[in-house]
Amino acid sequence: MTATTEAEERGPGPGSSGRPAKARRKEMSETTLGRVFVAPAIVLMALVALFPVMYAFVISLQAYSGRLNEGFAGFDNYVTGLTDERFWTSLQFTLVFTVTSVAAEFLIGLGFALLMNQAFRGRGITRAAILIPWVIPTVIAAQMWFFMFNVTPGFINSLFGLGDFNWLGQSGWAAFAIIFADVWKTAPFVALLLLAGLQTIPGDVYEGARVDGATMFQRFWYITMPLLKPAILVALLFRTVEALRVYDLPQVMTGGAFNTESLSILVQQYVVRTPDPGLGSALSTITFILILAIGLVFVKLLGKDLVIGEQDSK
Amino acid sequence: MSTPAQTAAAQRASQKTPKKKKGSDQGVVEQRSALQVWGKSAMLGIILLWCLFPFVWLIMTSLKKGNNALNSPNIFEGPFGLQNYEAVFAQDFHLNLRNSLAIAGVTTILCVVVGSFAAYALARLPLKRKILLLGGVLAVSLFPPVALVPPLYELWNTLGLLNTWEGLYIPYTAFALPLTIFILVTFFASIPKDLEEAARVDGASPFKAFYKVILPLAAPGVFAAAIIIFVAAWNELLLASTFAPRDPEVAQTVPVAIAAFTGAVQFQRPVGTITAACVVVTIPMIIVALVFQKRIVSGLTAGSVKG
Amino acid sequence: MSRLTRRGRWLAAGAVSILVVTACTPGGGDDDGEGGGEMVWAIGGSEAQPGGVHQKVAELWSEENPDNPISIEILPDEADAQREQQALELQAEGSNFDVLGMDVIWTGEYAVNGWVESLEDVRGDIEEVTLAPAVESAMWEGELWAAPFNTNAGFLYYRTDLVDEPPTTWEEMCEMAIEIGEQEDIGGYIGQGARYEGFVVNWLELYWSGGGELYNEDQTEVEFDVDIATQATEFLLQAEEEGCLAPGFNTALEDEARNVFQSGDAVFMRNWPSFYSVVKDGGTPVAKNFDVAPLPTFTGEGTISASGGFNLAVSAFSENTEMAKEFVVWAGTNKEIQTMLATDASLPPTLESAYDELSDDPVMALLGEVLPEAKPRPPAPQWNEISVEMQRALFPAYNGEEDPAEASEAVLEFLESTVE
Repeated sequence: MTATTEAEERGPGPGSSGRPAKARRKEMSETTLGRVFVAPAIVLMALVALFPVMYAFVISLQAYSGRLNEGFAGFDNYVTGLTDERFWTSLQFTLVFTVTSVAAEFLIGLGFALLMNQAFRGRGITRAAILIPWVIPTVIAAQMWFFMFNVTPGFINSLFGLGDFNWLGQSGWAAFAIIFADVWKTAPFVALLLLAGLQTIPGDVYEGARVDGATMFQRFWYITMPLLKPAILVALLFRTVEALRVYDLPQVMTGGAFNTESLSILVQQYVVRTPDPGLGSALSTITFILILAIGLVFVKLLGKDLVIGEQDSK
Repeated sequence: MSTPAQTAAAQRASQKTPKKKKGSDQGVVEQRSALQVWGKSAMLGIILLWCLFPFVWLIMTSLKKGNNALNSPNIFEGPFGLQNYEAVFAQDFHLNLRNSLAIAGVTTILCVVVGSFAAYALARLPLKRKILLLGGVLAVSLFPPVALVPPLYELWNTLGLLNTWEGLYIPYTAFALPLTIFILVTFFASIPKDLEEAARVDGASPFKAFYKVILPLAAPGVFAAAIIIFVAAWNELLLASTFAPRDPEVAQTVPVAIAAFTGAVQFQRPVGTITAACVVVTIPMIIVALVFQKRIVSGLTAGSVKG
Repeated sequence: MSRLTRRGRWLAAGAVSILVVTACTPGGGDDDGEGGGEMVWAIGGSEAQPGGVHQKVAELWSEENPDNPISIEILPDEADAQREQQALELQAEGSNFDVLGMDVIWTGEYAVNGWVESLEDVRGDIEEVTLAPAVESAMWEGELWAAPFNTNAGFLYYRTDLVDEPPTTWEEMCEMAIEIGEQEDIGGYIGQGARYEGFVVNWLELYWSGGGELYNEDQTEVEFDVDIATQATEFLLQAEEEGCLAPGFNTALEDEARNVFQSGDAVFMRNWPSFYSVVKDGGTPVAKNFDVAPLPTFTGEGTISASGGFNLAVSAFSENTEMAKEFVVWAGTNKEIQTMLATDASLPPTLESAYDELSDDPVMALLGEVLPEAKPRPPAPQWNEISVEMQRALFPAYNGEEDPAEASEAVLEFLESTVE
């Protein structure tokens, strides 16, 4: 309580001291203003997301197999899900996929962003070209990479003289193909966020460093990276949670064969293909908790930077 | 992106570097080694190739006549013709384009507006438990969408929102808000508070300060978020194929229409029409991207010199 | 001034919401139910599109029955997506669909869920004139739940410039495939080997042709033979090792197999009849040098293929049940309509007598030969689960990642769990 009033007094700055009564009305309404500002977002999200999530959770506690609901079953579905070997295999693939593709996307995206930041002839076209992989609808991109990697007709094979190399038909290489396709498709997303982030770094900081004789690498490492940290964290956060929920690419390219079944594919099977709503909802909830936990780690890192850090630095 | 504390730290860091070496960036008269120029061009070439080769594949495959597009790895072979494009437009594809444009457009506008307000509050205004709010906001977008579809379908059915534009842009906005809010929060937080305070001193209300000072400075972030939301809404398939699976006249979107293409006979993949539709769809997206990228990069801050 | 801007803010918010509300759908939502006798036929696929033969069937009926016309609601191309959309409607007990285009493997599921009307009262009319396997695919627990519409069976496509006599056993086929493949430097045999339903179809054709069964007549007991199953899986395993299987076998669906054969990269192909015209009109050298034959067996006698196709069912929530029943019976037993399916779209009819007229067409002639021997996959409600289990067990086994005998045991175990 005290903390808020202090913040309120500090808020509008020194100029408010000359108008005490009006200022206080304005200040007190800042909290309400804050609430009013977030309200529409919260309401919208709660409306659309909260009800189905609650519903799914309730269903996960029922013995609801096929299309017949047989009543409350406690955590049976969760036990079934967690003791199924398939769950752990798909978890393993999903984690491997996430770590590898996010790391690659980050590095490549950063490179793209630095490039897009430069002024050179044809930079507009280059920037648009870099965005092309990302604007292609995912299902089409997935089909396209299937055709590219598949041993028949073998586009990639003939491009690199690899003969009959069966990319999608063996363990390990199937996963590689999927990761490659994902990196190709989503590095631009990371690049876009980082590019926007690069815009907010004031040029004078670089000027000062250059005058002092800093090399390009030193400028990059000591200035760019730290100042880009929030953007990097946002990009990593959202790429990670997206990657953990990957569905289209593995489904279209391999159908989940050769250990490329992701958690979402497993969930999809139990919700749609062989409907077992109880088990499907339980698997969804488990997936959700997992992803949320990982996401919250990022939020904590990020939040410290922005929100709490802000108030402290005063 | 950079808090005042970080900017100060960076300035200190830059003062620590004593070595004298020549940099190679524009704006200063320097000697560029031929190797560096050649290296840059080569990298550029590789990047363009990497991004564009599959797109070239799409275009060539869409131009192939007949049904043997996938018979050989040679993409430049074979009779060419525009049949696939004719077939695509014969199926009311322009209506799908219209639907997608409207739905993605409304989603973007709604999301940016609602999200900006929320992000500003989270970044600037005194709210309790911000981390919790941020975490909650994040959690919304994490649940596997496929499990949300059955209950949402029933709800939408009761509310009569099936097969309507609202039935799609409302959930799209809700699911795009978390990312929007996160992006905008980081951008708003990076704007020095002094600018805002200066505006207040001049007598502006919090809202005016937000509108006249903060938003323009956060423009790169806003436009980046806008592009991201637009593309995401445009390409979304799961909800669109459940809530508006048929009827291009009403609300069927582009990805759903493409997923519904059929081959000439059963079991045949309609590669030709799919690639043609993809090319048709990508071109306006590229134009949008071209327009928006200018806004992202034309920095309105004092630091528009790239380094 | 602050009040002004606050009002300004609310004005802005109001403007945005008005904009949003007016950005509504042009023309509003769905039709509000049919008034009178109009019926809706929910079916997908290439022939349901404008200009396809299903549309013609609908038009012909509507001409003859102006009080009860029927129109097609086009569902997506993929069978799974069609099932999902039908399921969403039927689960909600909606009356938007009257006639359902049902894949043959959905019969049990739809019947058990109470989604379709029983056709026992018209069973006699249908059974008399329809091919037996087709009728079998529309039955569950002794009752008829749908009217067969079109069927399907697997063919062995082969290269006439490289093969004189089509093989009658699987081993013979592989010998020829390896020999000719090496000579011509192409692949041997291509089928559907990716991990999906099509693979189960291919595997079942091997299994059945060795004499194996899945269930007994009324699906109350499991009759799975582990030895024959292992033989089938080991055949594939060996074929892969010896080079009988063309490259890309284990990632191929129907169209990939067609592309391989059409480009000349395989000697033999297992595929559905619909691709005959595609290869014939494909413009490649193969177009003039191929023909179709019955699938081989392990014993060398007879032939077996998996039967596919579509049946037409009447939705249990339809408001025009009687007329819908008449329509499905008419579509399945009217000679003109059934023959049209074959001549216009190469869809194999279910009406036995239709084949008399079609003996000139090589595809239809072969179908007439093969169809009486075709076996449907059990139309059990759990067929999807069974299929998924079989894929998961047998696919790694033929790729050398699991033991074939163990895989067969796993399948047996699962089948037994379905009858408990």
